[in-house]
Amino acid sequence: MPRRRSIFPSIVNAAIFILMEIAALNLLSRNSSLQEIWIAQASHKFMGAVWGGSQSIRSYFTLRSENEALAAENHELRKRLMEISTSTDSSVQLTGDTPYSFFSANIVKISRNKQHNYIIIDKGSENGVTDRCGIISSKGVIGIVDAVGPHHAFALSFRNADVSISARLGNEGAVGPLVWDGRSSDGAIMKEIPLQYKYHPGDTVYTSGYSSIFPPDIPLGLAGESRVINGATNEIRVKLFQDFSSLRYVTVVKNNNAREMEALER
Amino acid sequence: MRQARVDYDMAYMILVVSQLLVCNYLHVSPYLMLSILPVLVLTIPIRVGTVGAMIIAFITGFAVDILAEGLLGINALALVPVAFIRRPLITLLFGNEMFSREEDFSVHKNGFFKVFVAIVSVQALFLVIYIWADGAATRPLWFNALRFGVSLVAGVVISLLLIDTLAPDDKK
Repeated sequence: MPRRRSIFPSIVNAAIFILMEIAALNLLSRNSSLQEIWIAQASHKFMGAVWGGSQSIRSYFTLRSENEALAAENHELRKRLMEISTSTDSSVQLTGDTPYSFFSANIVKISRNKQHNYIIIDKGSENGVTDRCGIISSKGVIGIVDAVGPHHAFALSFRNADVSISARLGNEGAVGPLVWDGRSSDGAIMKEIPLQYKYHPGDTVYTSGYSSIFPPDIPLGLAGESRVINGATNEIRVKLFQDFSSLRYVTVVKNNNAREMEALER
Repeated sequence: MRQARVDYDMAYMILVVSQLLVCNYLHVSPYLMLSILPVLVLTIPIRVGTVGAMIIAFITGFAVDILAEGLLGINALALVPVAFIRRPLITLLFGNEMFSREEDFSVHKNGFFKVFVAIVSVQALFLVIYIWADGAATRPLWFNALRFGVSLVAGVVISLLLIDTLAPDDKK
């Protein structure tokens, strides 16, 4: 039966080897100023590399908390921005309300390979999330909350054949529904654009604000080629800014006036 | 066995003294650094372990550094790695049986080529460290490379001449 080789003697050998080499280097540096400078420079480089490497490793392992802090800061800034922009809106000033609330959230589950994709986030009713809240990121619209539990919420992803959002071409262009193209992770189609509206490929597509879910002017993507449907409207391909294959941190947006708007619609 | 060990110890001492004389009195060229210390460490008997070989190498290098003109610590610095890789090198070239049988290698038993490769390996390792530390990043690469090449050839030739004395064939 073969004997198992222990690693212990190798460690002892390596330790003694390193000690002897350090002793020899010490002797060398004490007896020659040229070698002393050379060894000092080499040791500084080595220590710099070790410290730099350990700092990089430490930074890598704190990325998650850094990201969460940035997401929280991001949603706070978005909230303040919305407060500032609505302060010039006379109707809101009359009521004194802020129309939108924002909550940062993490995606805990996401489906990507179906026609009816969904998302589950780690914020629920206890965090103020309700159904019909929107989910956005810094790069566009992610989905719409459909069901809410105490600690989690279930949302229909924008990459869901049943989801359609109101979008606008450019700052003052035509408005139409934007839906997922059903194939790619960053492709969408903007429908029902009247033929008389001119646009240029590369124009930015924004949320229109004509909904009780999403605020206006969230950049969604870039307009691409178009085709005429039934000789009456244009259908424009849109390349989304948000790639759904790399998605983790999102912001939940809640329209505080949604109930009132929906009641009026009825 | 005992006689062989006495013979080896005697040969080792004589060759270390020879190395001292070479270091002190034989300055042929700045490109030539003649050293037989690597082959001395390579031929330390197999029964001496790696730690023992490293201690012998350190003491030998230190003795040459103190008694010869030169930088204190430089021979010890270059010689200890030779002792550190001695066992893996012998295992690689001559097989692990050398250690299980505690049998020393020789040109007759293991063949000239393998012994030659072993000598070149230890000599090259020793010279790389020695020339690197001696130059302390102040000498141009071509100088170091030329010094390495000339010293390697000279060191290997001298070592091959001494190998039969240091690692004799047991069956002789």
